[in-house]
Amino acid sequence: MADVQDTIRERAAALLSSGEVSAVIGWGAGRFDDVRFPLVVKRAEDAGKLVFDASCVQMTAKRLLEHTGEGKVALVARGCESRAVNRFIADHQLTRDQVYVIGVPCPGMVDPATGETLKRCAECQVRNPVVHDELVGDPVPEPKPYRFAEVDRVEAMSREERRAFFDEMYGKCIRCYACRNACPCCTCRECFVEQDKVGWQGKAFNVNEARYYGMIRAFHTGDRCIECGECERACPMGLPLMVIMHQQVRDIDKLFGPYEGGGLTDSGPDPLRTYKTDDIEEFM
Amino acid sequence: MPKTPIEVSHGCARNNGEPYVPQVCRVIDIQEQTHDVKSFRLQTLDGKRPFACEPGQLGMFSDPPYGECMFAVAGVGEDYCEFIVKNVGFTTNHLHELSVGDEVGLRGPYGNWFPYESAKGRDMLFIGGGIGMPPVRAFLRHCLAHREDYGRIDFVYSASTYDDLVCKDDLFNVWPNEPDTHVHVSVYHAKEGDGWDGAVSYTAPYLEQVFAEEGLSTENACAVLCGGPSLFRTCRESLLKLGFAPEDIVTTLEARMKCGVGKCGRCNVGGVFICLEGPVFTEAELARMPRD
Amino acid sequence: MLLKKAKAGALLDAIAAKERLFVPADDRGTSRFVAYGAGVEPRFDLLNTKLPPKDLLFPATETLYRWSRDGADLAIDSAFAETDPFTVFGLRPCDMASVDRLDAVFLTKGYVDEFYQAKREAATFVVATCAHPGRACFCDSIAASPHEAPTADVLLEDAGEEWVVTPQTEKGASAVEAWKPYLEEGDAEPIKAACDLKVDMAAVPEKLKGMFDDPIWSDIGDQCLTCGTCTFVCPTCYCFNIDQDVREDEGKRFRCWDSCMFTDYTAMAGGHNPRASKESRVRQRFMHKLTYFNDRYDMNLCVGCGRCMRDCPAAVDISLIIDRIAASEPAQEKEAMAHA
Repeated sequence: MADVQDTIRERAAALLSSGEVSAVIGWGAGRFDDVRFPLVVKRAEDAGKLVFDASCVQMTAKRLLEHTGEGKVALVARGCESRAVNRFIADHQLTRDQVYVIGVPCPGMVDPATGETLKRCAECQVRNPVVHDELVGDPVPEPKPYRFAEVDRVEAMSREERRAFFDEMYGKCIRCYACRNACPCCTCRECFVEQDKVGWQGKAFNVNEARYYGMIRAFHTGDRCIECGECERACPMGLPLMVIMHQQVRDIDKLFGPYEGGGLTDSGPDPLRTYKTDDIEEFM
Repeated sequence: MPKTPIEVSHGCARNNGEPYVPQVCRVIDIQEQTHDVKSFRLQTLDGKRPFACEPGQLGMFSDPPYGECMFAVAGVGEDYCEFIVKNVGFTTNHLHELSVGDEVGLRGPYGNWFPYESAKGRDMLFIGGGIGMPPVRAFLRHCLAHREDYGRIDFVYSASTYDDLVCKDDLFNVWPNEPDTHVHVSVYHAKEGDGWDGAVSYTAPYLEQVFAEEGLSTENACAVLCGGPSLFRTCRESLLKLGFAPEDIVTTLEARMKCGVGKCGRCNVGGVFICLEGPVFTEAELARMPRD
Repeated sequence: MLLKKAKAGALLDAIAAKERLFVPADDRGTSRFVAYGAGVEPRFDLLNTKLPPKDLLFPATETLYRWSRDGADLAIDSAFAETDPFTVFGLRPCDMASVDRLDAVFLTKGYVDEFYQAKREAATFVVATCAHPGRACFCDSIAASPHEAPTADVLLEDAGEEWVVTPQTEKGASAVEAWKPYLEEGDAEPIKAACDLKVDMAAVPEKLKGMFDDPIWSDIGDQCLTCGTCTFVCPTCYCFNIDQDVREDEGKRFRCWDSCMFTDYTAMAGGHNPRASKESRVRQRFMHKLTYFNDRYDMNLCVGCGRCMRDCPAAVDISLIIDRIAASEPAQEKEAMAHA
């Protein structure tokens, strides 16, 4: 990946010095070799601070939204970031001409805690960028691993077991809202949890408030989830959040036909927000 | 004679039992001040004043199903504390639905107070805007109650429209009749048929105009300022331009507050907590604090 | 006096028979201080727990009072209660240093927080020193030491197979007296470890005073997600909210942990928010930790435990931030250079 990193630096410097973009979003190096962080480079001379290696665990696309409006912004985008770009465009968060996509095919990242492939990468369906202005590096194979193993496990549980599973999951939640802040679908200017006047979300910390938050967020992201898995990766308490997202993805496929959020397939508009007279209605 | 420097005390906290738990009080009087401002007099259930407090101090007023809000105490009587509340949000909306006889929660007093001791002998220039009235009113009433201790008193007060002027009775009937007390009122926008024939001006230019027309001096004066963020900023600049020393400008700040006792963390400006060491500061002190 | 690590279980059983006892332990894939009892395996090998021990003194949610309304009538009942004695066994020196900070906040500066005080007075803290500080540990250059904890009631100095037991307070002395049956006479050489990671704090609190408008805050803002992870895993972050739970005509008012990273933390009724930008919230957090708190209480609000660095989803690293502040030019010099 060293060549890719060099090319990213060169391209970032060129784009910044030509004035084509006002910022380049990628990763910088932390104190330790296995720690990388989302880095926004604004000056060509800082392009050398960009790194790209197997420790770039964060899905950085959300930063785009903080910098659009300051001129065109370049994003170093793997499959996951590129799907997020499509998501933002579909959700009217930005327009295609506001972002310059430096596409980078991704072989998968390494979890510094275990030394193994990061979970969100092990489940990745799209390693190559689905949208890009230029591509750095050669396309990688798409193994399309089976990603519903955890959903299968939870589906096979009895009602009581499932209840216990979700109680344990949300019993650990500290409601730091990292999942929301990292999520490319969570783009509400004011989140329901902060609408104090309405008071949807209680401020107390307990399993009920956490479950309520988690479920509302899951439903609100609904068919827009791009399965980047960043919510689960960002969670400091290790909640298996993708179980819920994957369950939704699979249900949507079953009910409405193959569909993947983030403009991956040409399956038309988002199914949960499109009314069709032949929509399935067996649950009514 | 050299004037006594204005000294604002910042260490006035006192532990009065459980700091977070309110006492139950009864609403004994409600006055509709404007379309969105009401004043409330609160009394303990046994007919006493809820607490003694100094002008500028704060009280946390609550209506338990809805929430609690921190207000500057607008005045105290023999047997009541008075609050002036603008309907700006969820809790204040519900406070506005209270009736006389309803029981509410009140805790406090919190924070420091205006330097009425060190300001003795000075000409007092009070400046307030809109709902910035309560703390200024508390200090002004103190000065009027001890009229001989202070020099000339001027009060420059503005609100968006005539209807938004708070405490009209005090402004037009009570205070102008006090000895050597001059009340100057302006509105930002005159409205057709609202009966206002006075000045139409924002507070800062109006303050400068009054200062010139009345021939006021900064010589032995103390300015007291309270209002929203933009009034606050522009009037600070005007006062400095008029020649007030930063040490002679006294202000009171507002912030979102929860605990009232300098612990919960949100109302800090730099290392200082507005609810505990504040809300009263001199301009000289503010200038040394971060612009947080 | 020595306590063989292998025999700690018997001592813990004895303490737990007398009063509540909290030990570091795994909890559903994370770790925290849990009540010792059946099925709880103490993890004295953990450097520090995922969640800090602060909730033992300052619970994440704590009822302050209950109220009920009947027409115009209102009743308010304080939820304050005395706390039975309890022991926290095996916390680390950094976490003990965090208790010193919480004490300063809740017990000084005019008001004593009775809810905190009741728990604090009931607590006996038994601190185990760190023989092998982790790579994110930097307590000894900011607030504490891996092998000391001056305010602990009892100090357990790690000597390999055993701990050297030293009572440091009256409370600690009576605790150790009661532990006698489980202790052994003898001497062992405590491991005096030092952290590899060091920060240079000397000039930081003063330098920060001139850095309100420094570009560092927008750089950190670009990196930070402004989630609340750092504030919730931090052993010293104490800022709280007061809110309520309403059930028709009755309810309770509680306080709960809050985070300066959240947008609604400083939003006022009417819409004005003095810290609306990410940059301003990030600045508040680090200014509070590294200079405001020092002004007020004469100590840093960071104890170098490394939790925020480990768990931050965006890998914000307070030690790197301290490095950058320490290396920055003082504001006046910068200004002078600009004018030169």
